[in-house]
Amino acid sequence: MKKILLIASLFSIVSIVAQEQSIDTIKIYKKRVLEKIEVDFSTSYYSQDGDNAAVTGGIGTEELTDLATDIVVSIPLNDDDILTINAEVSAYTSASSSNLNPFDNNSSSGVVGSPWVESTGDSKKDTWINGNVSYSHSSDDRNKIWSANLNFAAEYDYTSAGVGGSYTWLFNEKNTEVGIKGNAYFDTWNPQTPIELRYFSEVQNLNSGFFGGVDILDQNGNIIDKDGTNIWNPLSTTLVDDKTRNTFAFSVSFSQILNKNAQISFFADLIQQNGWLSSPMQRVYFGDRDNFYIGNPSSIPNYTSSSNRDVFQLADDIERLPDSRVKIPIGMRFNYYFNETFVARTYYRFYTDDWGVTSHTAEIEVPIKISDKFTLYPSYRYYTQTAANYFAPFEENLSTQEFYTSDFDLSDFDANQYGFGIKYTDIFTKLHIWKLNLKSAELKYSHYDRSTGLASDIISLGFNYVFE
Amino acid sequence: MKKIIYLVIAASFFASCVAVKEYEKVNINDPDMVLSSRKANKFETSFQAYREASAGANGGKTGGGCGCN
Repeated sequence: MKKILLIASLFSIVSIVAQEQSIDTIKIYKKRVLEKIEVDFSTSYYSQDGDNAAVTGGIGTEELTDLATDIVVSIPLNDDDILTINAEVSAYTSASSSNLNPFDNNSSSGVVGSPWVESTGDSKKDTWINGNVSYSHSSDDRNKIWSANLNFAAEYDYTSAGVGGSYTWLFNEKNTEVGIKGNAYFDTWNPQTPIELRYFSEVQNLNSGFFGGVDILDQNGNIIDKDGTNIWNPLSTTLVDDKTRNTFAFSVSFSQILNKNAQISFFADLIQQNGWLSSPMQRVYFGDRDNFYIGNPSSIPNYTSSSNRDVFQLADDIERLPDSRVKIPIGMRFNYYFNETFVARTYYRFYTDDWGVTSHTAEIEVPIKISDKFTLYPSYRYYTQTAANYFAPFEENLSTQEFYTSDFDLSDFDANQYGFGIKYTDIFTKLHIWKLNLKSAELKYSHYDRSTGLASDIISLGFNYVFE
Repeated sequence: MKKIIYLVIAASFFASCVAVKEYEKVNINDPDMVLSSRKANKFETSFQAYREASAGANGGKTGGGCGCN
């Protein structure tokens, strides 16, 4: 009996060892999730202009340029795990944000400013930096993937720290994919408010500080008596009393291969935000309060015209928006492979939130392979949205409202975007710089037109390298 | 009732799909067939989030990072 037990035990041990060797053998021949280190380097130049700057209450120049650079390094740690490090720097100059302080001291005219002129204020430029580290693990059969990520971003008036994770499950011979994802961002404002509101909230006296030596004009261009009754008096001297903004996002996705040439995916997010959701920089002018100005009285009748170069209206308040928002975007993609030359990539998104915004986005891109190495990417995107409940243009909000904004990004509009890109691909990675072998390079240009009059252009250039 | 009809249609739509074998996925595995936004669109997606009230459900970020949205 002992012999039988001994033999059985030995057999079990041998079979376990054999199984482990078998698993090891499988591991040896398991295809790596990522073969080599990959480096994506991309840069873009963005330019926009329009006549509805939010910083100056819904009128004024929206001129802005931005230069951004992004680098993503994906490192295979072993057969199953990938560490991805992403760093991005974005430097912008903006005429509208310069008008956080619109006033320049002109030696001949005194203190002047205009929503149509970029001032010399420090706020006309800023740099945004962003870092993201993510780690992903794939199961041996490559049917389950989980990932975790950490995110940090900062600019002069805003910092953000984020954490997230995701889980993806493939089944049905990898024809079907289901995923869930969660992210949380904990952000903090360093609030920068319009200069006249900030000065007034500090001293609450028009005879001292910034206002001490400056004439304030009424609607008729007459200099007001600062000790009288008809004086500029902002709605509130409490500007920002909550510096936090938190965002919690939960996403689900479902993808299905329909046949050898078509696949489809559906995805939905549930996003909840709370904290200070309005921008402290953005002015509001009420239709039911008197108007007051600093600058040239003869320009007041032309205040809303871009010919106004030297008078600025003092704000009634900064924008005020609710301290919570729930957003629900639902999207789908459908891609179809016609032949070796043409592919159709389509996208649709429906969006709704509890601020009254509803939007539809539709996009199509048709990659055209013109040779083994070159692909063209013509694209078109249509977007339409309804206005937020709290939006009204310049001088159309009322001081009796609880919430108000004149930010045209929250207005009713539609937009068209036309794009064209060209991509070079070399699967043999013959071109190289040092140990970086070029796998692909892409140049893309897009033009964006919004029915509010805002227009923008963006050109981006990207390189994908494999590290030898 | 409408919801049930939609569900039945959707279910029959997917039920009709025969699983595509790995060796038949040459076209599906084409880089342009990937079911996410392409890398070249990353910057565009960021600026759309700035200039529009909507965000999310596009593979981009759903919040955090800037005070824009």
